[in-house]
Amino acid sequence: MTMTNTSTTAPTLAPADLKPAQRTWRAFRRNPLGMGSAAVILIMVLIALLAPLLAEFPSGYGIEILMPPSAAHPFGTDDLGRDVLAQVIWGTRISMIIGFASSFLAILIGVALGILAAYAKRLDAPISMMVDVSLALPVLPLMILVAALVGPSVTTLVVVIALFSWPEVTRIVRSQALSVTRLPYVDAARTIGGSHFWIMTRHLLPAVAPIIVVSVVLTASRAVMSEAGLSFLGLGDPESWSWGKILFNAQRSGALTVAWWCTLFPSLAILLLVVSSTLMSIAYNDARNPKTREN
Amino acid sequence: MHLTGYFLQRLIRGLVTFWFAVTVTFFLVRLLPGDPVLAVAGPGMTEEIRQTQLELYGLDRPLAVQYFAYLRELVQGNLGVSFLRSQPVSQVLMERLPWTLLLTGSALLLTVILGVPLGVLAATRARGWVDQVVQITGVVGQSLFVPSLGILLLYTLGLMLGWFPIGGAVKSGLTGVSYYLSVVHHLILPSFTLVLAQLASYVLTLRATLIEALGEEYCDLARAKGTRENKVIWKHALRNALLPTTTLIGLQIGFLVGGAVLTETIYAYPGVGRAIYEAVGQLDFPVLQGAFVLLAATVVIANLLTDIAYGLLDPRVRA
Amino acid sequence: MIRNVRNALTRRSVLMGGVVMAMGMASLSPASAQDAASRIVIGTTADVVNFNPLVGNSRSDTWVTNLMYPRLMQMTDKGSKDPYVATEWGYSEDGLTAWMDIRGDMTWNDGTPFTADDIVFTVTAVTTEKIGVTAGLIPSFVSATAVSPTRVEFTLSRPDSTFLTNIGFWMPIVPKHAFPEVGQVAAFANDKDWVSAGPFILTEVNAGQNYLLTAVDNYPLVEAGKATVDEVEFRVFPDVNAQALALRAGDLDLIANSLPAPIARTLQGQPGITIAQAPSLGWSHVLYNMTDEVLSKLEVRQALAHAVDYEAIRTIAMQGLATSTNSSAVSPVLSYWADPEAKEYAFDPELSKKILTDAGYTDANGDGFFDGIEFDLLYEQSAADIANWAQIMKDGAAKAGIKINLTGLERNTYLARGREKDFDIYAGNWAVMEEPAAYLGLAYRTGGFINYASISDPDLEKLIDEAQAATTPEAVKVPVQAAAKLISEKVYDNVLYYQTFQFAYNSDKWEGFVIQPSDLLSLVNPLSLASVKPKN
Repeated sequence: MTMTNTSTTAPTLAPADLKPAQRTWRAFRRNPLGMGSAAVILIMVLIALLAPLLAEFPSGYGIEILMPPSAAHPFGTDDLGRDVLAQVIWGTRISMIIGFASSFLAILIGVALGILAAYAKRLDAPISMMVDVSLALPVLPLMILVAALVGPSVTTLVVVIALFSWPEVTRIVRSQALSVTRLPYVDAARTIGGSHFWIMTRHLLPAVAPIIVVSVVLTASRAVMSEAGLSFLGLGDPESWSWGKILFNAQRSGALTVAWWCTLFPSLAILLLVVSSTLMSIAYNDARNPKTREN
Repeated sequence: MHLTGYFLQRLIRGLVTFWFAVTVTFFLVRLLPGDPVLAVAGPGMTEEIRQTQLELYGLDRPLAVQYFAYLRELVQGNLGVSFLRSQPVSQVLMERLPWTLLLTGSALLLTVILGVPLGVLAATRARGWVDQVVQITGVVGQSLFVPSLGILLLYTLGLMLGWFPIGGAVKSGLTGVSYYLSVVHHLILPSFTLVLAQLASYVLTLRATLIEALGEEYCDLARAKGTRENKVIWKHALRNALLPTTTLIGLQIGFLVGGAVLTETIYAYPGVGRAIYEAVGQLDFPVLQGAFVLLAATVVIANLLTDIAYGLLDPRVRA
Repeated sequence: MIRNVRNALTRRSVLMGGVVMAMGMASLSPASAQDAASRIVIGTTADVVNFNPLVGNSRSDTWVTNLMYPRLMQMTDKGSKDPYVATEWGYSEDGLTAWMDIRGDMTWNDGTPFTADDIVFTVTAVTTEKIGVTAGLIPSFVSATAVSPTRVEFTLSRPDSTFLTNIGFWMPIVPKHAFPEVGQVAAFANDKDWVSAGPFILTEVNAGQNYLLTAVDNYPLVEAGKATVDEVEFRVFPDVNAQALALRAGDLDLIANSLPAPIARTLQGQPGITIAQAPSLGWSHVLYNMTDEVLSKLEVRQALAHAVDYEAIRTIAMQGLATSTNSSAVSPVLSYWADPEAKEYAFDPELSKKILTDAGYTDANGDGFFDGIEFDLLYEQSAADIANWAQIMKDGAAKAGIKINLTGLERNTYLARGREKDFDIYAGNWAVMEEPAAYLGLAYRTGGFINYASISDPDLEKLIDEAQAATTPEAVKVPVQAAAKLISEKVYDNVLYYQTFQFAYNSDKWEGFVIQPSDLLSLVNPLSLASVKPKN
């Protein structure tokens, strides 16, 4: 309701009278790329949520092995005669769960450490060092190692990916929060005796919130890529379908070039999700930044 | 004096990074479930054979003892002996390391050479069609799943058109110039794949920071002084925009070196990343550990060397 | 000026790339010049892990070392052994001594004659240091003596009808003069200065890339007295899809690993490419953990056995490239030993339900599954065939009201859990099981090395002992067949099929391969690669 209100009355208002969030939204709405990407992500979320209504869980086997796309199977069938469309639909669900769960976890760690580093001077050096060191580690091989260590499951993948994704978030959040801690109102809050926790959650957290929005989306899309990579190397969850798992099946059975539909559709799904989330966050950043926002 | 301090600080940071990587991977590797001896002796071994093997590799000792023994050997440059191959780990990995360096180094170089002009182009024409094209191309490239892209390129450019060899690092039995030509020929597809995967993050970061910089006061000041816009971009804005971007690349070199596993697998490229993946499957602790040590060392040394060169070349670091 | 500034600022990143690249280039060095008259290029999916033929146990290890260290006997496609390096062999009357004669015209490529001493050295090293599977196969070995350069005699602790054929096939012979003393053989890397008595010798190794072998001058086991091609190159392709592209592009002449069905079918249609088939000498099966309270009940195992759609597994998951073993642990490939009376378990979920109901199992909570019956099916995630039929097995069991959960693991974890007997149902395959009296002991005797299911049945053991102590094939056959029948009746092991392997090669360029059974030998066995020649 408020949203509609804003949009109808917006032209009469001077931009300065709008709250930053509203201004951002106004700018974002006018970026076709951003809006298109947001729509794509929304559709994928819907597919993930409605998977059970859209297709039967792909299990069992069929007689039509490795059939190219047809009316009955719009995305063709795999080497056990299972419908690839159903796999991609259910894969959307698992890939997105893994993406967002691990992103959430990584953000939680990343933001907490980032704010802490920016606020507590004494912790800044060790945390920054830890971030630098973690970023220097070869991430994918380490993920392979840990995934093999714990045994393949969706939970494993979520934790493993989160474990190696937080330093990036910390780095960005810290630098953003750092610029806020120097502002007078934080000092003021400190002098009137606000508790550290209160200052961090009431002043620093809101200041880095926009960054978090972008990070969630980007980290999630990267997590989807990592999941695909790990699954492709045989470290995925054997009982559930993710896009990486479909590709792993195709690779393992030698269908990668033989049955292009087994490769193309899950690859496209990955591409679509990652591209839209990246474009959406770029659009959001541009919309937020007064310098790139056209008024 | 300042320069020495700068180098010293870099060196210490490098050493800490290195120690951290060694320690983390040492314990991770040893926490792996499964029986390392199994891979050596095969599933048909007796308990007696198993014990003999455990003793042979020192796996029956407490973890802490193994850890300090490992560090002691490492300081002396000894990475241990591979369980499965009975060869020194350094020998196993040194055959692979050059290829990893070649692949990631060439990819890094190309990324920067392509990334700077593209980033400037996108930033100066922000919101224009050039910007959109650069962004979308970059983002799509970055979002392609490497094995799918790899197999597509191999199928079209390798098999159908016959422009590139299918997999491998070099044709065997060549000498002299034709050997190096063959190396380059084999390098193109995997290197291109890596460039595509990371170009966008470089270009987009540069674009964002450059846009930010172009709006800063010192740029306005330069413009007010009558400096041409081109010069404002290249001289004033880019200088400041490039620093965070390159730092990012420096930090991500570990990601790059290790992230080549998928590329190396699909293109049959003999790098360290693939060796790690194989060693996980074989539970070859020393090789696994050694590969991480080597990758960490590569990252640290590459960062250190560039830091030193940068410090010598750029007077501002000394000030 | 503008350029300068820009360069100064990109310097750090360019330097970084340059430094890394230079580090790489500087340490590469070109190979020595070679003018190969003829070279066959073979694809494999994995590197050679260990060049010591007594230790290495991966496919690539075997393929490469087979070309340098001869086995004494030749495997036939029925699993029996033909003379090769060994010309004749036999046992004494009491079964406590075995003897073997070998050819006299073999030499190592450095000129040293290949003699009985090498055999004595190898068998002594294997048994003393307990190296690999071979050591486990010949527990009856006591000592060996070279009575002449061409004759070895073995002392055995008990009559063992499988001793000679086991060392004849499973023990490659290594050069005594080029190997360390007994006691240090297992730790010997053998990664340079090779000495070969096979048709080829390794001359160049590039880990992660290729393995180059050159023909040796004297290989009397082929008519020409020497291999026809000058060089054999193994190239590593971790991904089988890219490997198939390389064959189609002409970069590879032959693929050593057996091909997944979809690839084989596509390659079949390509001009100039031929698909060859070879039967497996082993089989694929599921084991039921006998230490599990529920699985130790015969009725439960019977119900499980009747809840497997064997036909679907063979036609869909294996795409027709599998043949029934009639639910017998002695596959029909071993035509001498197999029992023609053997019958496969019928796929009949209703019968399974009836067996379980009769045994007192119910479905009180009405979820469609019998209460208290739920199993984890353990398999190796990267094995495409098994991963596929594990799914079919799960579905079949569900029809019979039995719940199966799939646990696909990375290879090493899978093997370790099998060894530690940490599973309910274990899906896997044995690559070569060619000597029933020997493998029945390993797989079904209490405490046998590969008795993962912890089977312990005195009746079965009596039959196995009888088979191993018998000295004539006829006397071995009776207890072997009886044991197989007992295993099938008691559902100790559910053998699903034996596989037909498919291999592809470029038939426009090459002819004269000698195909042998199993994917260990296939087209890349020494005889085959010594005989293959370029077309015209």
